[in-house]
Amino acid sequence: MRHWLLTSFVTLFVSFCNPMTANQCVQQGPRSALRPHHFPLSNHLITMPPKGKAATKPKATETPATTTSNPTTTNTTRQTASQPSEPTTVLERSQQRYEKTRPFEAARQQKGLSKLFKEDQKGWICDQLLHLTNRLPAASRSSLLGPKASKEIWWTVNGTNSIVRGLKHKPEPYTTWGTDRNGHDVGSYTIERFDERFRKRIALTALQVSSRVFRENVEREKRGFVDARSGREIIVTEREIDEEKVRRSKMAVLKKDLYGAITGRLAESVEWEDVVPIPHEEPEGALAAITYPAEYAEAMSYLRAVMTTKEYSPRCLRLTEHIIAMNPAHYTVWLYRAANIFALGISIPDEIEWLNEVALANLKNYQIWHHRHLLVEHYYPTISSDPEALAQFAKQERDFLIAILSEDTKNYHVWSYRSWLVGKLGMWEDEEELKSIEKMIDEDVRNNSAWSHRFVLVFSNPKYATPGKAATEKDEKVPQELVDREVKYAQSKAFLAPQNQSPWNYMRGVLVKGGQPLASVQGFGEEFVNKLGEGEEEEEVKSTHALDLLAEIYAEKKDNEKADLCLRRLAEKWDKIRGGYWEWRRKCLTQSETEKAPGEQVEEAEEGSAAV
Amino acid sequence: MENDNKAAHEKPEQEWPYLDVHRHLRYWKMCIRAPLPQVYLSNESNRLALAYFIVNSVTLLTPPPSERTPETPEPLISREDKRAMIKWVLHHQHPTGGFCGTSSLVFPLHSYDTYNSDTKTLNEPDHAGLANITSTLFALQLLALLADEEDEAAGENVFEGVNRVGTLRFLKSLQREDGSFGEALSDLPGHGRFIAGGYDMRYCYIATAIRWILRGDVKEGSPGWVEDFDTEALARYILNSQTYDRGFAGNSQDEAHAGYAYCAIAALTLLDRPLTSTSSTSSSSSSSSSVPHKSPLLHSSIRDLPGLIHWLASRPFVYLEPPPPSAADQDPDTYIYQEDDLDDPNFLLPPTPADLLCLLSQTAEKKGHDKTHVAFNGRTNKVADTCYFWWVGGALANLGTLDSLVDREAARRFLLEKMQHRIGGFGKSPGSPPDLYHSFFGLAILGLMGDEREGGKVRGFDAGLAVPRETVGVIERARRRLIESEKGGEGVVVDGGKEFDAVEMGLELRGGEERPKWLGACGY
Repeated sequence: MRHWLLTSFVTLFVSFCNPMTANQCVQQGPRSALRPHHFPLSNHLITMPPKGKAATKPKATETPATTTSNPTTTNTTRQTASQPSEPTTVLERSQQRYEKTRPFEAARQQKGLSKLFKEDQKGWICDQLLHLTNRLPAASRSSLLGPKASKEIWWTVNGTNSIVRGLKHKPEPYTTWGTDRNGHDVGSYTIERFDERFRKRIALTALQVSSRVFRENVEREKRGFVDARSGREIIVTEREIDEEKVRRSKMAVLKKDLYGAITGRLAESVEWEDVVPIPHEEPEGALAAITYPAEYAEAMSYLRAVMTTKEYSPRCLRLTEHIIAMNPAHYTVWLYRAANIFALGISIPDEIEWLNEVALANLKNYQIWHHRHLLVEHYYPTISSDPEALAQFAKQERDFLIAILSEDTKNYHVWSYRSWLVGKLGMWEDEEELKSIEKMIDEDVRNNSAWSHRFVLVFSNPKYATPGKAATEKDEKVPQELVDREVKYAQSKAFLAPQNQSPWNYMRGVLVKGGQPLASVQGFGEEFVNKLGEGEEEEEVKSTHALDLLAEIYAEKKDNEKADLCLRRLAEKWDKIRGGYWEWRRKCLTQSETEKAPGEQVEEAEEGSAAV
Repeated sequence: MENDNKAAHEKPEQEWPYLDVHRHLRYWKMCIRAPLPQVYLSNESNRLALAYFIVNSVTLLTPPPSERTPETPEPLISREDKRAMIKWVLHHQHPTGGFCGTSSLVFPLHSYDTYNSDTKTLNEPDHAGLANITSTLFALQLLALLADEEDEAAGENVFEGVNRVGTLRFLKSLQREDGSFGEALSDLPGHGRFIAGGYDMRYCYIATAIRWILRGDVKEGSPGWVEDFDTEALARYILNSQTYDRGFAGNSQDEAHAGYAYCAIAALTLLDRPLTSTSSTSSSSSSSSSVPHKSPLLHSSIRDLPGLIHWLASRPFVYLEPPPPSAADQDPDTYIYQEDDLDDPNFLLPPTPADLLCLLSQTAEKKGHDKTHVAFNGRTNKVADTCYFWWVGGALANLGTLDSLVDREAARRFLLEKMQHRIGGFGKSPGSPPDLYHSFFGLAILGLMGDEREGGKVRGFDAGLAVPRETVGVIERARRRLIESEKGGEGVVVDGGKEFDAVEMGLELRGGEERPKWLGACGY
């Protein structure tokens, strides 16, 4: 009867698991006994003692499983000669344990169910059932199989000295223990190394528990909770905070050690603990990857997180500062900083003061000046109705600009900001502005940036400049005395260094703006040229720019012959590297001036120069 | 290092200077294979720009398939590499169009969170500032540069996945009222939607290049049509940016600058450039610095065109070898100038032209030849810099005057003898170590001028679009292909956008046309 029940159950179960094997099992079962070199495992089971913990579990008594804490399982002396060699890695150790505790399953995996002895097949099925039912709540275990079947299983179990508590799953590399921070399988660790790691994990868990208590207390303090036992409000003491700081740095070290987790200033900081950083992911095929410090990677991962939630807060402001210190050219970070400044209502003068330091440390940076531009745009409406405040602000800005330009006299971004600022704050009539420019030109007469700023300052003044006039256009409204003054100024500087093109360009620009013929400075130009075309020895040219201007003046007066002489001497001797250009100008002289499209002129000049 | 230098000197006079293609390739190989050093951290937000310098340079140095022989070494970037790189570039695309400059600011999953299914729009300010105009152009140029040259049909599909309509709309949204362009959109509390970025001629140029690459000739009302930005306003803005000294600046209130002059001139040229250029079909054409077309806008509307040419022609100057500060034991060829020295040697300005001539003849006597070095600066009285050879040369090439106005031999001699570095690449100034930016622009100007001596070693370069001429052809075919696929309903592939909403949004962005049948077959 017992046999019948079990056999029918076995068949049922096997067919449930795998119909194919069920058939084979039934058919081949008897044959397996014919193989004399195989012995049923059931006869010489290697058993393991049950773990004390399991044995003391109170619920274990509810099931028949406890009855198997029987003499056979404690019989450790039954270790046989087939004992495998001492394990070197955790994986090996666990695999050995698995094989020991699940001998039938191990044998099946090795040989296949059909090749097992019938007794072993039975043993295997009982083993499977045991592990299946062990996962169920105690109450439903017997209801699944019924009391009779249960009894039969236990009968078999006892008979085969099966082990009730075995490892559920076969240990596999990588999946069972996961990987360490270097991507290595923890299972491949030696036992000692694994134990070390295990101790660290316990230490980390302990720290995390303490840290959680601390954080809960911080939260309780914030909400003004009262401790039920002492009746006092919860207060987090300085000492506790210090302890927590120590704890965090210990945790960071452990986390990095165990998992290679991003750690750094932010990950350790109490302030950032509610933010989950978004690490950088990059697809394959990436170009131009840059080696950057771990700190930068960490900061960017927090930036991504706060940008995603669109957070504007003091800590975000500090985060932008942190990133800017490492990469001051990150335009997105600057824009995000500006958004934070405006959202939080941060004082603009304070921000500008901070920015001054950054600007001085990063002279070639472009984003800093765009940020400053935004700040001033934002600040201006608050002071525009107060002339005193406006003048004060203009002075502060100028003082800083003078300071930074003394470090880098031709910095394009600074000059660009300065010319914009003059318009924004209406600094046209500010004598100091013109004076400071004059001073810069006195210091370096070749500083073309300063010349350029002077032109804007003088000729874009809305007091008399016609709005919308282009820089190269004549403006009738510009006062004559201003034109004269500027022409004289340029001339005085051209004498200092005749070959410096800046004042020549300036003077020509002033004449065009004032609508005056270039011929009005013919005498000045001729002071730099002597005996042109009167022989190599006699000819004297102090400035090629004078000769260039004279060529234009003579052409303006229709004296093409003289103009051509100037250009020819430039090409032949005085400015040979621009030979092609001067030849092109000569060619233009003979053509009907501006009637022709310059493109065509150029083309013909090309042919001309080819002939030359 | 010593030996290299000696070897260079032992070369027969006529063979030096030459472009050491292998050395340059070795430099670029290093830039591809290994991460860039930390000095590039400041470019972390513009990695697409760095990628553009790298791929463009490698393309310039790699002969096109038609010119390859069995001896030609394998291309530095293989076809498989190219496919992976294309995916990487597309990864930077913003869901509503445009590209962002670094993968560290790509938020693919969150991008769809704010999609409002009622209004069928994205709540853009949430993501404003991430896509920017500069990276968008670099991304498009990179895609074209990465096209498979051995399989033209595959190469034509290189824009597959580009959100053309969205990108063109993004572009239009960056134009300011005065016609100029900003860099990115930003949401500033208290200021609302805001076009960030300075008044910078670069953005104006980039806008015209993106427009030329993507817009095509789709008729109004047809699928794929997008309202153009205000080209007249842009042209007006550019033309108003000529300065008193007849150069160009970011705006007329700033100092004239060769980089901005190039941008202004190239932008005007691109505004009326025909959609298919003749030069691209004849890729074998060896003519140097040929202009794609003679832009009527450029040649008829610049206020003072002869003046502009005068300003550009003033940029080259005679480079004088400075004496090393201390001692005769310093070899002038190996001495590396300090930053403080640069102002003098780089722009030595003798008081009078006679002094200069005297100095030159002295130097010629010492050297035994009168071969001068001609350097370029970017502003009046500024120092020499490799990239300004390109900016000035590129500007002149767009005007069709490069060949006639520049002493090419002397300029080339300066570039190859003074700026070329032993480890490959070009530096910013004489003796300085190479960097991606200057190494690329050094090659670009050589490509633009046509490398006469080393015939065919550097590909011909397009002065307007800043890519090799073959790549211009790729752009033209890829653009046509992209527009056709939009018409044919093949759809824009949104990478990873498998969600239903993403599909709906994609349809909306494409102009609300009919649902393609295949969508139904896929279960949408």
